[in-house]
Amino acid sequence: MSDKKVSAIKISKPERLFNLTCALLYTTQGLTKNEILRSVPGYEGEYSEGGDNSSLERKFERDKASLLHNGIQLEVTIPAHEDENNQVTVYSIKRESFYWPKNVKFTPRQMALLNLAAEAWVGGSLSTAASRGITKLRAMGAIGEDSDIVGIAPRIQASDPSFRDLNNAISDHQVVNFDYRNPKTGEILTRTLQPWILQKVAGQWLVMGFDELRDLPRNFMLRRIVSKVTTAKPARTFTPPSLEQIAATVAELDALAEKQVAKIQVNRDSEAWFRYELDLQGNGSSNEVSIHYHDIYVLAEQLREYAGEITVLKPEALIQLVRAGFEKVANDHV
Amino acid sequence: MSDQIRLDDSDRYNLMLALTGLLVQGDEYEVQELAQRFEVSKEEIVKAVKNIGYMDMAHFENPDRYEVDYDALDEGYVRISYNIENVVEDVPRLSSRQASALAAGLVYLSSLPGLAENEEILELQGILATGDSRGNTPEVIVQPGSKDADLLIIRQAIKLGRAISCDYLNLKGEMRIGRVIEPLRIDLRGELIYLKGWCPENSDVRSFRVDRMRNALMTEVEISKAARSAELDDEVYHSSETDTLVTIEVDPEAFSLMVDFRPVEEPESVSQYVKRFKILVGDVRNLGRIVSRFGGAARVVAPDSAKVAVREFALKAIGELKPTQPKDAE
Repeated sequence: MSDKKVSAIKISKPERLFNLTCALLYTTQGLTKNEILRSVPGYEGEYSEGGDNSSLERKFERDKASLLHNGIQLEVTIPAHEDENNQVTVYSIKRESFYWPKNVKFTPRQMALLNLAAEAWVGGSLSTAASRGITKLRAMGAIGEDSDIVGIAPRIQASDPSFRDLNNAISDHQVVNFDYRNPKTGEILTRTLQPWILQKVAGQWLVMGFDELRDLPRNFMLRRIVSKVTTAKPARTFTPPSLEQIAATVAELDALAEKQVAKIQVNRDSEAWFRYELDLQGNGSSNEVSIHYHDIYVLAEQLREYAGEITVLKPEALIQLVRAGFEKVANDHV
Repeated sequence: MSDQIRLDDSDRYNLMLALTGLLVQGDEYEVQELAQRFEVSKEEIVKAVKNIGYMDMAHFENPDRYEVDYDALDEGYVRISYNIENVVEDVPRLSSRQASALAAGLVYLSSLPGLAENEEILELQGILATGDSRGNTPEVIVQPGSKDADLLIIRQAIKLGRAISCDYLNLKGEMRIGRVIEPLRIDLRGELIYLKGWCPENSDVRSFRVDRMRNALMTEVEISKAARSAELDDEVYHSSETDTLVTIEVDPEAFSLMVDFRPVEEPESVSQYVKRFKILVGDVRNLGRIVSRFGGAARVVAPDSAKVAVREFALKAIGELKPTQPKDAE
């Protein structure tokens, strides 16, 4: 039995991707698209010499995206003397970008923490990403065991429908559009954003990015996005921000919370009293609490939960907002 | 722990890369052992190993391949050898998204006091960043929430299998002193931390909010057999037969309600961005607080008793109605 003609057997997509990965690692000069389609198991069985290979080419394009999403950096080069001819673009994978740096090892305790971190994501693309990431780490030696890390079930909810699309756009550096409701006026505007990162601040998911309408870095709360997140037309990519740019924008947000302070008065021994841990402040403690906030609308929401237990003292805008919310609810339920 | 996760094509490809990275180190493993390590079924492991063996470079004038010992595989052992160079020879890096999902999960864990030191989290994040194929720009950041000292005692008690006693503020606003709970699991849910524990009083599993707990103490009492064999699920609230079916409508600003209260059926779209769903509620008076919070982005559609409860809560809050006493279970 010759084991040459395995290609007569149907080759599954995971197998094809694996063969492609090995071929691109193995090649020294790189492979052209035609060389790949002609030689890599999973394509070569369907390749027609001199015929129409357009569906096979589309398959290759999809596979390239799969590799990228798995963290594999494709080297795409066009030999200098032939830069006009797309057919001679050659593909390869640089080995130094492919493997984990040598000597990186995890202890059993570290693996246990990482396992738990991966478990924290519930549903959505990050749960998939975390579980694929942890699969790779599990190949690195240690098995996650630590008696200290038992009986914990973390769950990060990323339920906003826009979460997945923004996350993909961040990975692919795609400019996106979405409709955003201004919490103050209720007005809906279409925004164009270069999305940088997703961030959970004070319980709210934000997307931080460069707002092309305002020409400034801005934060958008995912729950105020009232449309699908779509790729800008025509599709275009942006240069990803530097770590410094991200850090500066995060710092700006923190500075905002530092500056914005609300004051409330809490009824003794109410639920809010415990929520704000006033019972732990010792006898004769004040019944006033100062709260730093990022977003006055989110704070108003949180405070409405303690209706009857607290009085908002300042700022005036917050007092109005809490009250207006209750009035709207009362009117909605007649 | 389980092998229930269904793999798709990309997961299988990812598993092949990881498995190859492990197996090329030359050790022999039991199929069972690998299934446990990667948390997949034994069938998935066997399939992946076979597929690694089918990798074929004949067209590149290289007849070498990963040699799988198929006889051993039939008997439940995995061993491969290889003589080609420059194929998958070690564990591949993570994608930025994979690395940042794990890194953000770690930050979230650090909100649990005493679980991991900040330095430990930072060190791990550093390692993840070095293994990120695109450099270390994070895609997701989760800022940790509040901390609570009672959690340290609870964690210790879970580890040692002992009951705790604590004071607990129930939803009626009453502080119960010296309540005994057999702690089973700590559930981190968004901003809140719950203790899932066996309540000997009710002979049932209950969720307790740790922020409503005070003066937790570990007792000498070992947790009971009933507690140890109790089934733990992901729900924080359990409905009962006397619950009322309530229909709620939400704008995107209040979609989180659909996650917090598992709807009894798939939510339906009312208009492009308004959804409607049904939940079971123990006491409709509790809805006032839950719905009013959103200041209009959530609305009760039916039944009337629930609508009245919400309206009364909102009116009371602005001082246009005399207070009534809401109640709840735990």
